[in-house]
Amino acid sequence: MLVYTIRRLLQLIPVLFVLTVVVFLFVQALPGDVIDTLMGGEEDLDDPEIRAAMEHELGLDKPIVIQYFVWLGNVLQGHLGKSAVSKRPVSVELLEGIPATVYLAVVGIGFSLIIAVPLGTIAAVKRNSPIDYTAQLTSLAGISIPEFWFAIMSVLIFGLWLGWFPTSGYASPFDDLGKSIHHLILPALAVGFRQAAFTTRLTRSSMLDETNKEYVDTARSLGFPESKVIYKYTLRNALIPTVTISGLQLANLLGGTVVLETIFAWPGIGRAIFEAIINQDFPLIQAGILVLGTIVVLTNLTVDLLYRVLNPRVQLGA
Amino acid sequence: MSTPDLQVTRSRADVLHGPTLGTRLRRVRAVAGNALGELYKSKTALLGATMLVILIALCILTPYIARYDPIKTNYRIRLQPPSEAHYFGTDRFGRDVYSRVLWAGRRLVSIAVLSVGIALLLGVPLGILSGYYGGWTDTLVMRFVDGLLAFPGLLLYLLFVTLAKEWKLEGIWVDVVLIMALAIAAMPEFARLSRGTALTERQKEYVEAAQVMGEAGFRTAMAQIFPNCVSPLIVNATVRLGFVILIVAALSYLGLGTPPPTPDWGSDLRAAQDQMETIPMLAVFPGLAICYAVLSFNLFGDGLRDILDPRTSER
Repeated sequence: MLVYTIRRLLQLIPVLFVLTVVVFLFVQALPGDVIDTLMGGEEDLDDPEIRAAMEHELGLDKPIVIQYFVWLGNVLQGHLGKSAVSKRPVSVELLEGIPATVYLAVVGIGFSLIIAVPLGTIAAVKRNSPIDYTAQLTSLAGISIPEFWFAIMSVLIFGLWLGWFPTSGYASPFDDLGKSIHHLILPALAVGFRQAAFTTRLTRSSMLDETNKEYVDTARSLGFPESKVIYKYTLRNALIPTVTISGLQLANLLGGTVVLETIFAWPGIGRAIFEAIINQDFPLIQAGILVLGTIVVLTNLTVDLLYRVLNPRVQLGA
Repeated sequence: MSTPDLQVTRSRADVLHGPTLGTRLRRVRAVAGNALGELYKSKTALLGATMLVILIALCILTPYIARYDPIKTNYRIRLQPPSEAHYFGTDRFGRDVYSRVLWAGRRLVSIAVLSVGIALLLGVPLGILSGYYGGWTDTLVMRFVDGLLAFPGLLLYLLFVTLAKEWKLEGIWVDVVLIMALAIAAMPEFARLSRGTALTERQKEYVEAAQVMGEAGFRTAMAQIFPNCVSPLIVNATVRLGFVILIVAALSYLGLGTPPPTPDWGSDLRAAQDQMETIPMLAVFPGLAICYAVLSFNLFGDGLRDILDPRTSER
């Protein structure tokens, strides 16, 4: 396990390399001068002396490969630059978005598990029954409905027509829990709905895989009650992939809720990056994508390692 | 349905010179006939195939069945409810929503097919070669692919789209950038899939036989191993097509796709949102169109998986 962990950590290096190179080249590929792009709007940029000093500081007078390493060195020390719009450090802007994004992603995933695990299990146990077909059809529809359309429709029905929930905005759960939950329900529903569709399909198929295994036959032949066979033995094993995939989806959601955060005016990282694109705030775009990519890579690694702890049968060499 | 030609037998002559044209044609015909027969076995695949045929027919026939110009505005007929003249009503510029939905579908499906096609062209040879040769090639390619996978959700597209915006690209070039971004993002999956097949296949006797007979490595890799990757690739590519449509719609919903007045399900939805309190119907049609297109790809992909993968079809 230790060897495997170390190997996986080493494998991160090339992955992060590709990530940083792409993000670095992104700014290089923008039209215009890199200094203008990164420092846009700073007053004294016209002064040639200050410009030259800045060029030197950013390593822009050196070949592009050196520039990359200078930039990488700055990033590793936490110098991600300043937002071109708010003039505050980009790291602060991004950190402010993290709680809202994590809050939405975690509740959304939790919500999806509450629906998907029972539904997927029942569908597998009562295979080819009306419940199974309904579950299969709903989940297929669920992965085909775009989440932003689902969000718009739920805003229309529950927000505008019925007036049950606010249509946008955010309140921190630490300030006012009731208000916070009230604001959270529609966005979390939109996140959870699509995830639930994936998870139901997954739970169903891994339950089916599991019930075909020999230990299940053995347990049955020993006269264990069916409920015990299903819920005590089979389900536990079948949930391993569900938990893993949910972890991976959580990682994806941390970076992938741009659309939903925008619709619900949810002050997370996704919306921050979207607004940065609209405002042409390149330091923020660059740093935001770098940070989110890194979070995703690290979460994936953690989930992968946890999976091997949960399921020792998986060969470590694979 | 029993055609002996169906079994992919490889004679020595086959391996050395490839099958003759006649054999090839017969094989294609047998496989196609067989495919139709199989299709009837899976209800999901049949339903998906029917929906897909309708979708593609609508895309091809758009110029004939769309009744109005999708772009020309007519302020005298703004925001009309669905009627005989305008099946889905009109939007705030007086444009026929039905025609816009059709034209947008034609555009989106073409983008999806092109981008997935390019992704296959890039990813499959990369995956096969990396699995076949192993060693450093494999490590390099796979780490690169892993790096691409580190961009979650929309982020990679956002980078490309921002670039396109900053370079002030217009018209077709926006679509070209979008297609390339979609292709690059879809490539890793195809590369991984075909690499997996190549890894198992390269140890089999027929590959060894081809090598002993002096076939060049590259040729063996492509000619012998590729046919074995086809079925998982078809399934994945089908599902990916639906996914690409979702992404393009999401991007244009955010206002980062092709700018209006080009008909697009995503940007039309965005525009419809402003009238949501008064005319909610406007937001319904583009959304339903996305659902229909994506669902038909998903259904067909799901059904194909049941047919092509004997392990899951037992369920």
